[in-house]
Amino acid sequence: MAQRVTPQACAKLPSARRLRRAAAWIVAAIVALAPAGAAAEVSEAAPRPDDQFDVMNVLAHRGLHDLRDERWNAYGQVTLMGQYKAPFHAPYTNANGSIGSLSPAAEGSFTGTATVYLGARLWPGAEAYFAPEVVAERPLSDLHGLGGAIQNFELQKTGVVTPQIYRSRAYVRQTFGLGGEREERLSDPLSLGTTVDSRRIVVTVGNFSVVDFVDKNTFSGDLRRQFFNMAFLTHAAYDFAADARGYAFGGLVELYLDDWAVRVARMTPPKEPNQLAIDFRIGTYYGDQVEVEHVHRILGKSGAVRLLGYRNRENMGRFDDAVAARRADPGKNAAACTGFSYGSANPGAPDLCWVRRANVKMGVGVNLEQHLTDDLGVFFRGMFSDGQTEVYSYTATDRSLSFGALARGAPWRRPLDLAGVGAGVGWISRDHAEYLGAGGVDGFIGDGHLRQAPEGVIELFYSVNVLSSLWVAADWQHLWNPAFNADRGPVDVFGARIHAEL
Amino acid sequence: MPSCSRATAPALAIAIATAAASTPAIADGFAVERLRLAPPGAGWIALDSLDMRGGLGGAVALSGGYARAPLRVDGTPVVANQAFADVAASVTWDRFRAHLGLTSPLRVSGRSTGVGAARIEAPDVSLGRHPDTLSDARVGASARLLGGPAGGFRLGASAELRVPSGDRVDYVTDGTYRGVILSSFAGDHGALTYAGQLGVHLRPLDVPSIPGGPRGSELLFGLAVGARLPFGPTAIVVGPEVFGETALRSAFGAQSTGVEGLLSLRVEGTAEDGPQLRARVGVGAGLDPRFGAPEWRMVFGVELFGRTGHRSAKP
Repeated sequence: MAQRVTPQACAKLPSARRLRRAAAWIVAAIVALAPAGAAAEVSEAAPRPDDQFDVMNVLAHRGLHDLRDERWNAYGQVTLMGQYKAPFHAPYTNANGSIGSLSPAAEGSFTGTATVYLGARLWPGAEAYFAPEVVAERPLSDLHGLGGAIQNFELQKTGVVTPQIYRSRAYVRQTFGLGGEREERLSDPLSLGTTVDSRRIVVTVGNFSVVDFVDKNTFSGDLRRQFFNMAFLTHAAYDFAADARGYAFGGLVELYLDDWAVRVARMTPPKEPNQLAIDFRIGTYYGDQVEVEHVHRILGKSGAVRLLGYRNRENMGRFDDAVAARRADPGKNAAACTGFSYGSANPGAPDLCWVRRANVKMGVGVNLEQHLTDDLGVFFRGMFSDGQTEVYSYTATDRSLSFGALARGAPWRRPLDLAGVGAGVGWISRDHAEYLGAGGVDGFIGDGHLRQAPEGVIELFYSVNVLSSLWVAADWQHLWNPAFNADRGPVDVFGARIHAEL
Repeated sequence: MPSCSRATAPALAIAIATAAASTPAIADGFAVERLRLAPPGAGWIALDSLDMRGGLGGAVALSGGYARAPLRVDGTPVVANQAFADVAASVTWDRFRAHLGLTSPLRVSGRSTGVGAARIEAPDVSLGRHPDTLSDARVGASARLLGGPAGGFRLGASAELRVPSGDRVDYVTDGTYRGVILSSFAGDHGALTYAGQLGVHLRPLDVPSIPGGPRGSELLFGLAVGARLPFGPTAIVVGPEVFGETALRSAFGAQSTGVEGLLSLRVEGTAEDGPQLRARVGVGAGLDPRFGAPEWRMVFGVELFGRTGHRSAKP
């Protein structure tokens, strides 16, 4: 019988010792990397370097474009990532016909993405954005076997090796000024350079990812430049409504009052969990979120605190319902599914396919970022979700923590280099563990057996700025208890990334 | 056991043959859309006015449209409804233009049918099922080779690459790279404005099993004539655009030629300073509604265009 994981219980687990060691490493890294003195605005968007090679900078330098009052802009990026997973110990894999295990054999994985970001001003205060993207990928083990610590944030649930072109974002934003001071907003991808009131309402409608706007973090979020692992993209336990690529349709209202901001959004979920087709019945099925943000200064250094709550109403199954259905009727097992399922052939396992109906999932989280010096910042995220229902859009994690530090290379005269160290830990609920322990599959995890333990990752990377807009990064990740299973792992993943901005 | 193998092999062969005969082959789809939207800033809906001029400039266009029954097989509209939204952008410098265009199929649907032993499955594309699908991307470049931007005769050339995207079963792509090479001409004589084109659509796909399906590379042609009516700081241009294509392997054959016409109306800003808007709408029908030409069609769009630098334009 799986046990409920409490912080006290965690302290008794072997993985908790690893966590303490990770925390010690991070503290040591911060101390080692922290330069003396400081006074900067790093959590506010850094000005684009004048010598950075991108389309808009080139035009601006030739006097053909005004970056401070843009009617349009166009940016692009290309990111190539390759990773190698070393073989690891696993007494069983895909036991009893299950399909959710990470292969214990050595494996390679890659992703390649290219994006064009187009923005145009429609009328005063109104902006339209459009971002086509192409992706090609080969995940580890067909993306199976990792809960919230998926080793490459670029991986999509429907991705294939053949490049696919799709529309990632197409939306309109309208800003209504309410006064206050004038703030400069910098020209960037999906952001026209302009000045706005410090007090304003911004309404966004269309096709985007809610994490484009919610749960942002200066030091843990822009993963094409920063960490590789999905645990650092947002809360691993934040099952935000989105299709299999991470995008959705919906609306977002933001209220900015100087140092405070409140964001409220409703987004469409997929029709079936982790799939591409969208359910547009947004009055029936939806993902709601509310975020309150406060930006501050501590000893002259900028930082931010964000509180996030979400509530999803989706056509999803509860873990306890699935287990009860299997007990009441052994015919309602994973191998006999007639509705949508992930294809498990385990006749002794429960499956969520039998119990999907309108259910609610909720969670609350906190997100912190703080500059310690001009070139060093730290971050922390923590979220608690109820853990009663299946993963519908993001990861199978029910509770998550992540923290770490990010440093720019200015102290060693490499100001555009980035170095980072971070740790992420995820837990699942008691009901979730009972379901997986009975052989069930939830999204992309389910080994057939389970010895419940927190899944975790420690990541260390260094990104070298080779040319003005070209970075090459090396990365190491150490993952333990993959898919929350203490019987398997630990796993080491080594990676490299080439990232160019245009 | 050899004896058992000898006994079962013929039965197995018969079973496979029977199954093969009773299971119709499923024909793959292809790119049905025949409307080749002109690059942003080109003026017309389907043709190019070749009036690139000045310093660095550009245009961003948002277009939408609907075509009724662009693919019929023995009277059955395999593709009965085809609605799209298109976003495109272009950059101009002097007499040159480069452009990028991306189309989102919003709705592609119809009725399945069969031809001989082949079953032709109708597509079922909707925004819900395919929330982010883009059909073949267009990347191209154009140049005006002769004449000034407002002269009586302008001659130009263009090339466009179609990068495959989407699924063939949705009838939004051939699944192969394609190319378009065009020679264009245009001119203005007082209130009269015109444009034309002749070119080749380099298309590897040959689907003889579906009547009206692609038959390899095609000859493209088109002509537009309109009246330009100044109206304050804007101009209204109204006139017909006729365009079509025919497969080179059976040029102007009944099943391999499509022609359609659009009556197009556009209202555009004419000031030389600052960005200008252009709104346009076209309604038309297949003059020879085969080979992808629809029963009827409507197209609309808005465009923001202008120039940030200024070079003297020589008419």
